[in-house]
Amino acid sequence: MASITLPTRREAIAEARRQGRRIAAVLPYHYPRALLRAHGFHPVEVWGPPGVPRDEGGRHFQSYTCDIVVRATSFLMGGGLDPADVILIPHTCDALQGMGSVVADFLQPSQPVLTLYLPRSDRPSDRRYLVEELRRLSGRLASITGHEATAADWDEAFAAEEAADLALASLYAERSRLAVTDRGFYTAVRSREFLTAEDFVAMAAGLPRGEAPGEGVGLTLSGIVAEPLDLFDRINDAGGRVVSDDLACGARRIYPPSDAADPFERIAGRLIASPPDPTRGSPIEERVRMLADLMRSTGAAGLIVFDVPFCEPELFDVPLLRQHLGEAGYPVLHVEAELGGSLPHQVLTRIEAFVETLR
Amino acid sequence: MNLGYLFGYQLAGRAGLRLQRWRSEWRHARTAPDPDRALNPPLRSTIRMREMMSLHYLEGRHVAGVRPVAWVTSGAPTEILKSMGYFLVYPENHAALCGARRHAEGLAVAAESAGYSRDICSYARTDLGSVLSGTTPVGSLPPPDLLLCSTNICQTVLYWYRVLADHFGCPLVLVDTPFLYEDEAAPHQVDFVRRQLEEIVPIAERVARREFSEEELGRVIGRAKRASELWLEILNRARHRPAPMTAFDGFINLGPIVDLRGDRQTVEFYEGMLAELDDRIDRGIGAVRHERYRVLWDNLPIWYRIGPFSRWLAERGVNIVASTYTHAWGELAEMMDADRPFEAMARVYLHPILNRSTGHKLAAMRRMVADFEIDGVILHSDRSCKPYSLGQIDQRDRLVNQVGIPALLLEADHNDPRSFAEEQAMVRMEAFVEMMSA
Repeated sequence: MASITLPTRREAIAEARRQGRRIAAVLPYHYPRALLRAHGFHPVEVWGPPGVPRDEGGRHFQSYTCDIVVRATSFLMGGGLDPADVILIPHTCDALQGMGSVVADFLQPSQPVLTLYLPRSDRPSDRRYLVEELRRLSGRLASITGHEATAADWDEAFAAEEAADLALASLYAERSRLAVTDRGFYTAVRSREFLTAEDFVAMAAGLPRGEAPGEGVGLTLSGIVAEPLDLFDRINDAGGRVVSDDLACGARRIYPPSDAADPFERIAGRLIASPPDPTRGSPIEERVRMLADLMRSTGAAGLIVFDVPFCEPELFDVPLLRQHLGEAGYPVLHVEAELGGSLPHQVLTRIEAFVETLR
Repeated sequence: MNLGYLFGYQLAGRAGLRLQRWRSEWRHARTAPDPDRALNPPLRSTIRMREMMSLHYLEGRHVAGVRPVAWVTSGAPTEILKSMGYFLVYPENHAALCGARRHAEGLAVAAESAGYSRDICSYARTDLGSVLSGTTPVGSLPPPDLLLCSTNICQTVLYWYRVLADHFGCPLVLVDTPFLYEDEAAPHQVDFVRRQLEEIVPIAERVARREFSEEELGRVIGRAKRASELWLEILNRARHRPAPMTAFDGFINLGPIVDLRGDRQTVEFYEGMLAELDDRIDRGIGAVRHERYRVLWDNLPIWYRIGPFSRWLAERGVNIVASTYTHAWGELAEMMDADRPFEAMARVYLHPILNRSTGHKLAAMRRMVADFEIDGVILHSDRSCKPYSLGQIDQRDRLVNQVGIPALLLEADHNDPRSFAEEQAMVRMEAFVEMMSA
């Protein structure tokens, strides 16, 4: 199949409201979905969006600011986040730190602006801190709704969200047995950004099984967000296929299960144990090892790091990824593109040339 | 102890630098104010500061194998390492030094040749270029036995130090400081930082093969507190009209409070500098000969243009009397407490201006505008320091529209001259000065 059909974000929001949930607009990219659900919120993620012009956001942020932040600010100022009851801005990087602070201090939208500082390591002290930080967030949500999450709320939220997380992990595990194009696969993966957990599980179960269409040089895709989705068609046209990823909007959010009894411990344990990630301070050595293992196990011949401009967490790692993965026999291509509608010709040419060298 | 350390640093090095200082001080004493120059002679203390910093870098050339070496970020809680005898290298200070001496561009190009993007911080590129090329204007830097990184100034340092950890293969200790969106740190944030500070000790002991002493830590904190208090007093002397110093003097004399905080000589140095400023005030000597406008600077300096900028401004009667950046190393002095070292350090290192909200920074600027009788504000929109710069557009709007003073957003980069369009900037500066005179 060439593509899959999904509800729109608007429809997903309507469905969540029909289920009696409020809407949380959430900026990228690690956050506690089960905690939001236990407090009656449905998260809808904001990765730009790509089609929104930078102009309005550019009145608050300099030209050297991350595209996601500037476009999300444009979207907010243009009323795009009006359907949301709260805005959650996790502290993913300096750019989202700036956005969280500017929005809360100066732009002051009508909805409450919530923040979440994620620790940058996985020591016991980090876990302990994160548990308390999640409690703080829980307290804020409870004060907004006037309702403390009960044990039943938590049970329901974990059951739904962990089933959806498991469905996401299964999509990746079954990638080679899904009869969907790369574009279709990532359309499905990214629908986790706005579908309800139940709808996501149903969508994942409904994807056609069979032989994955298309042939070509196997590639692993890294970076923050694979946008526009046209990227996958162009990679296929060039003779490549995406067999695995290390994307912030993708496999970096495959959280391992946890059986902790305390809900905050359970969420913290899962967030902290997510795959190596520069925004979470993982040592480069761990990231290289994970990528080399991933590429070996999925048959990738090379790595494309696809970034939005000015993304420091990614940019610092690129030379060492190139060096270490190159030593392991995996060439690395780094390209940057803004979130706009189409890919620049220069980027396409570089991808084509890279795939050609891997044949 | 190796012979290089003994002769090159402790004997010949010290003596040579002291001689150089005496010569400079002798010349300074004989420099009469030049009525044709817009700036009065520079502070005598700066000569002593240069000796201290030169001596520090000279020790660094010979210190490997003599003392354990740690590379640390500028906002790192260094008192623990200092109390254990570590020699501390501040890559940011080193990068600034390279910038001021116009070496930064070449080093940044070396990093870019190795694949580092021009979009990452120019301090990081300068430092990584120095590491990769083995080139530095200070001769050489000792390789680290330990890296200590605190995120209280930015997340950039964590990405940067991960690269250093990969390069040097030594332990990286992180002190992660949650960003304070609210006015004060919450108890769980303080607790988190305190625990991490305590976790430094066993790692530092293992690397240094020395035992930690809380008593010694208390002494170091006591000296750090005193030096920070003096530094704040020094900066606040610029409230006087005419101001006896400029913010550029602050930038230049920042080295000891950043690099040598906790040392006895640093306290003595700032006592001397404060006395010199008081003497200037008593004699009515301003840093700018005819001070007409008093300006606040926000963000890091433009290291490679400090001299030309200060002269250009002084010729127009402008004195940049205060900066949010230099105050960062003084305003937390009151939080330091040698009796509760870890708890107090946790609070201190959570609260630097760079770890606080954009609204807090605006409030700090408003206070400084009042305290220093400011006529205008220059907000350096620093391409290389995004956490400091994001928020400046709204801050500027509020300074103009609510406080009612001219405010200029000046696009530049603290260390990379290629990101500074000088002609365009000077046209805007000219217009800014005109606005203050209107």
